[in-house]
Amino acid sequence: MQYQVAFPTASGSRAALLDLVQMLLGLALVVFMYLHALFVASILLGPQVFNALADFFERYYLAQVGGPLLALVFLTHFFMAARRIPFSQQDQKKVWTSTRMLAHRDTWLWTVQVVTAMFILIMGAIHIWVVLTDLPITADKSAARIQTGFWLGFYLLLLPMVEMHVGAGWYRLGIKWGVIKSSARNKAKRAEYYITGFFILLGLITLARFMFVSVS
Amino acid sequence: MNRKLTFSIFRYNPQETGSSPGMREFRLEETENLNLFVALNLIRETQDPSLQFDFCCRAGICGACAMVINGRPRLACRTKTAELPEKIVLMPLPGFRLVGDLSVDTGAWFRSMNERLRSWIHTDENFDPDAPEVVMDNQVAEEIYELDRCIECGCCIGACATAQMRSDFMGAAAMNRIARFMLDPRDKRTNREFFEIVGTDQGIFGCMGLLGCHDVCPKNLPLQDQLAHVRRKMGRQALKNILPWYKN
Ligand code: HEM
Ligand code: SF4
Ligand code: SF4
Ligand code: FES
Repeated sequence: MQYQVAFPTASGSRAALLDLVQMLLGLALVVFMYLHALFVASILLGPQVFNALADFFERYYLAQVGGPLLALVFLTHFFMAARRIPFSQQDQKKVWTSTRMLAHRDTWLWTVQVVTAMFILIMGAIHIWVVLTDLPITADKSAARIQTGFWLGFYLLLLPMVEMHVGAGWYRLGIKWGVIKSSARNKAKRAEYYITGFFILLGLITLARFMFVSVS
Repeated sequence: MNRKLTFSIFRYNPQETGSSPGMREFRLEETENLNLFVALNLIRETQDPSLQFDFCCRAGICGACAMVINGRPRLACRTKTAELPEKIVLMPLPGFRLVGDLSVDTGAWFRSMNERLRSWIHTDENFDPDAPEVVMDNQVAEEIYELDRCIECGCCIGACATAQMRSDFMGAAAMNRIARFMLDPRDKRTNREFFEIVGTDQGIFGCMGLLGCHDVCPKNLPLQDQLAHVRRKMGRQALKNILPWYKN
């Protein structure tokens, strides 16, 4: 009995270009998210510093142009990543069985990315919408939002989701494209945990600080 | 005191009407240096002659005995029971056609994969039996040899979530194999031709970089670095394909 496995010939260019674009967008999002965390943390230096920074971004139209551009990158990234997300129940079951069977850290990392992605898709979109439809950004308005309580809970959930997704994201990009060699893998993994921890902590301190900005 | 081992083994014979998949338990007293090759043979000899599993070389060379051992794809002949807890769960390697119990048909998969990759040296030079052999640079020869150590056991495919989801994904063994031909100076295929073969979602761009493959390969092949190498090379080729001033 002759048994054959089907490996159909497929055309490459599209898959390759999509992968390249996915890498570039992913990289852009990582850089953006880390800078975003640092800029928001400027509240720790005082509302004046925060306002001055926000003012700077708006004066040069970085917020007005950058914001919608980011929303576009965000959505494009979603559509590209969606190629990899198992949407059918059968595929989800296969991945889940395989992941559980293997008890393998890097395979889990991907599951973490897919799950956090679903939160980010919805919550990130809401966040971007709320901020961009209420320009200019000021410490006052942000603090008022966070102090309602609802938004505090919202951000407390979104923050670790984003940081875990971004941390796993750059680690995996590094692995896929060989920036992280196998000899440096463990070190990179540790760095990922530390950096992710740092940004979650920074985010928490930032949120705490917003709770104590007196809203005029 | 020797340990009493409990083997929980997947049983199913697709050839037999009325057979349904399930786990069966066997007990065996551990002896010194017992490995799974010996243990499974003992079980078959003394407890259940119908148990199916594959072995050939029992020395980690042929790749026939790969199975999922307590959740990890490994070679049974290279696994000592002393490394495992008292309860040992054995499953067939996923992603391949099940022959029965622990036996799967990796051969058909690898044959199809190698045909798809056209795994042979492509050259248009005429072979002259009287000419002295061309000597290959020693370092290149060693680099090729390093990748040629793959025994086609299929562990990397069994450990790859992508391959489980998509049966047309060729997996790390295939990318390692094509990398070997990319290195070989006798193979005259251009990067454009290699791209036609692996610059796809069935090939390197389907890989999500989860590294299950790298972490289970019993021959410790440098799969992580090879996957990245092929991805970079093919990524570059993808750009060249759309830039009109590149002919090749
Ligand atoms: C709309 C919400 C989002 C969804 C649905 C989403 C989904 C995903 C998924 C499923 C992956 C894995 C893709 C793969 O394995 O090939 C991924 C990777 C990644 N994501 Fe997201 N993501 C979202 C938002 C973000 C944001 C806001 C950032 C950064 C700030 C980000 C950064 C990354 C990075 C760097 C990667 C790795 C890129 C890669 O593997 O090619 N993502 N995303
Ligand atoms: S690459 Fe390693 S795990 Fe994969 S088939 Fe070859 S020897 Fe087995
Ligand atoms: S790195 Fe690629 S080939 Fe290896 S297990 Fe992951 S997806 Fe599969
Ligand atoms: S029997 Fe040959 S590799 Fe195990």
